[in-house]
Amino acid sequence: MIPTRPRPPLLALALGALLLVAGCGSSDQAAKDRVRWAFTMPTSWDPVTSRTGADINTISLAYASLTRLNQAGEPEPALAQSWTYSKDGTALTFTLRPGLRFSDDSPLDAAAVKAFLDRGKAQKDSFLKAELQGIDRVTTDGPLRLTLHLARPDYQLPYVLAGRVGAVTSPGAARDPKRLALWPVGAGPFRMIEFTPESHAYFEKNPNYWDAANIHIRRMELTNSPDPSTLVAALLSGSIDVATRIPAHKVKEARERGLTVVIAPSLNAANVSINRNKPPFNDPRVVEALRYAFDRREFVQIVTDGIGAPTHQPFPPGYFAFDPQTETRWSYDPARARALLRAAGYGPGQLSLEIAANPQTADGGAEIAQAQLVRIGIKARIRVIPPGSSSWQSEVYVAKRPQLAVDGTIGRESPVQNLLATYGPAGIMNLSGPYAAPEFLAAVERVRRTPTDDPAYKARLHEAVRIAVAQSPSDYLYSAPWIVAARSRVKHLNLLPSQVRWEGVRVE
Amino acid sequence: MFKRLIASRSARPALAILAVVALLVALGPLLTPQDPLAQNPYALLEGPSARHWLGTDAFGRDVLSRLLAGSPVSILASLLSVAIGLVLGVVPGLLSVFLSRTFEWISLRLVDALMTLPFLVFAVAMTAMLGNGLGQAMFAVGILITPVFYRVGRAAALAVVNAEYVEAARLMGASTAFIIRRHVLAKVLPAVAVTTAAMTGACLSIVASLTFLGIGVVPPEPTWGGLLATDLTTLYERPYGPFAPGLLIVATVWAMNALADALRDLTAPPQEHWA
Repeated sequence: MIPTRPRPPLLALALGALLLVAGCGSSDQAAKDRVRWAFTMPTSWDPVTSRTGADINTISLAYASLTRLNQAGEPEPALAQSWTYSKDGTALTFTLRPGLRFSDDSPLDAAAVKAFLDRGKAQKDSFLKAELQGIDRVTTDGPLRLTLHLARPDYQLPYVLAGRVGAVTSPGAARDPKRLALWPVGAGPFRMIEFTPESHAYFEKNPNYWDAANIHIRRMELTNSPDPSTLVAALLSGSIDVATRIPAHKVKEARERGLTVVIAPSLNAANVSINRNKPPFNDPRVVEALRYAFDRREFVQIVTDGIGAPTHQPFPPGYFAFDPQTETRWSYDPARARALLRAAGYGPGQLSLEIAANPQTADGGAEIAQAQLVRIGIKARIRVIPPGSSSWQSEVYVAKRPQLAVDGTIGRESPVQNLLATYGPAGIMNLSGPYAAPEFLAAVERVRRTPTDDPAYKARLHEAVRIAVAQSPSDYLYSAPWIVAARSRVKHLNLLPSQVRWEGVRVE
Repeated sequence: MFKRLIASRSARPALAILAVVALLVALGPLLTPQDPLAQNPYALLEGPSARHWLGTDAFGRDVLSRLLAGSPVSILASLLSVAIGLVLGVVPGLLSVFLSRTFEWISLRLVDALMTLPFLVFAVAMTAMLGNGLGQAMFAVGILITPVFYRVGRAAALAVVNAEYVEAARLMGASTAFIIRRHVLAKVLPAVAVTTAAMTGACLSIVASLTFLGIGVVPPEPTWGGLLATDLTTLYERPYGPFAPGLLIVATVWAMNALADALRDLTAPPQEHWA
């Protein structure tokens, strides 16, 4: 009889190989459903202490808001499945979806929403106070209904609550706000699994998200955006899958090298923020001179490669809040600017300024502004604020130290909210804060009190924009669309004018 | 010495390059065909042409004009660093041999400490602390090259401190300052000259690296390193962009190193040869 070799080792080898193949398959699957997104880390992972409007793009990975905006910029149900105003507009009642849960598995009910709004109003370091000040108190009526009792009618709230202001946090996690600033616990599309400040944040899909069926990404890896010059190379190498805000002059290269480039309407608008609390801008003639100093077409050409649009207001042409009349009030007129400066006592070369520039935008806006100021006889020196996720916010938005800063807005969910962020007394982008003209505040109040389906709404909104721009020393320069580049395997990018969203995005 | 340098085959091309560089430093800003800061939004990233010999950058500025205008800053900044390193290094290096043991010990430990600091990180920290200016960055670089000069000065002084003529001078009541001036400096200078030439090349590379990173120079001021950095952001559109600033940096650094080699050859004591 011929001896046979023992079978078990062969069997073990076969089983091992099978497991190895299965393992590879699972790893491939994980890589397939993973998206690596290059953006910027938020100033805080807690919506209450987050300091800037751009943060909504990243904190909305972990948080869902009470409402959300559609492509037209109108609010639609999110955590709240419906809402109604009282007849006089001073009470807004939300009905939540049943069975909502936070990513820590605690229930998201009316009490949790009330706790969040109360915290936003009361917490010492809250950056939501200004936006919540119109809410007198919040009452609950059962687990799914809550009513916001307002000090005066405010029909903007369903818009406002689509952003950070409505990004409800888990009450349990909010007991430790310092930890919440580093580790979000919300009810958004993803839940955090790893975070290294100033570097990266990793998320996995949150099965508790109310719209989880529309999330087709299993793992989201958020990284700080690399240098703009290397974004296309990073996409081609596969180290990132999606890059938001690629420089306009990189569009051609990205397309020619096989990447998907999406150019979509956005609320991004750049400005020269001016501080009227610092000389020489305490002289209205100098402020007026700068109204005529900037050639907006040059900014559009150089920074956006011609795909942006000149604007004197924080809204792009085509957006419902955009006021056409504002655009005709000032034009580029360096001779007039020089004459105004002479009248203020500044001959050519006698006025020196410092321009604060943000290294993270690095789009050359400060250099263009400087060159244009030279044309009207102003010597301007650029001071680059040191990089870091919060240094610009601390220096410019909180301390308001610069005389002049080249800045911009990424937009807000509500046009009134955007106006107040730029021009309001507590607006982070109001470098002249707390200054805000009473007539501007009155105009904003009229808009708030007007239902958005009222025929007078648009006219009142445009009037508020006109007054806002006229009373502020700052000058808006141009608006720019979203320019997002992605590897071809990422499909159906979901770009709202005010937010990057991930519902419906697929990875193939 | 200069005649011998001119006669040296290895020094001649280096001197020729350095003469051109010196010309750029002295006359560069006067030779610019256009305003180096003038932007033209309708001539962005153009290739070389009769109007723009080296093309235009992302702001429509003439690259040749920026290269010429940036020459003095790029070179003088490295010379400034070397001057700082020379003064702060050689003098304590000489004194460490002649002054008390306490001074020697403290200065040696300070030099050891300086040698542990990484160049770029220290320069970045200094500009963060003192403000982002070329002076601040160059001061930081000057401090960091101090140990090199300290060691050269000290080594040369140690070589002569026990010489009989120094001993004799000391016995005749000569002061330390006199001894250094009369007997030591002559021995130290050749070594210092070689080190200065080598360190100027090294500092030019460091200055280029710092300005490449946006440290020390504020936009839109042109520098060779800064031009290299902006050219890298538009490499796809202007692949030849980094060539001109890169060539200037490489040629100048090579010339300084070649000059240092030639100086060393000329000043080194004759070697004994055995048949």
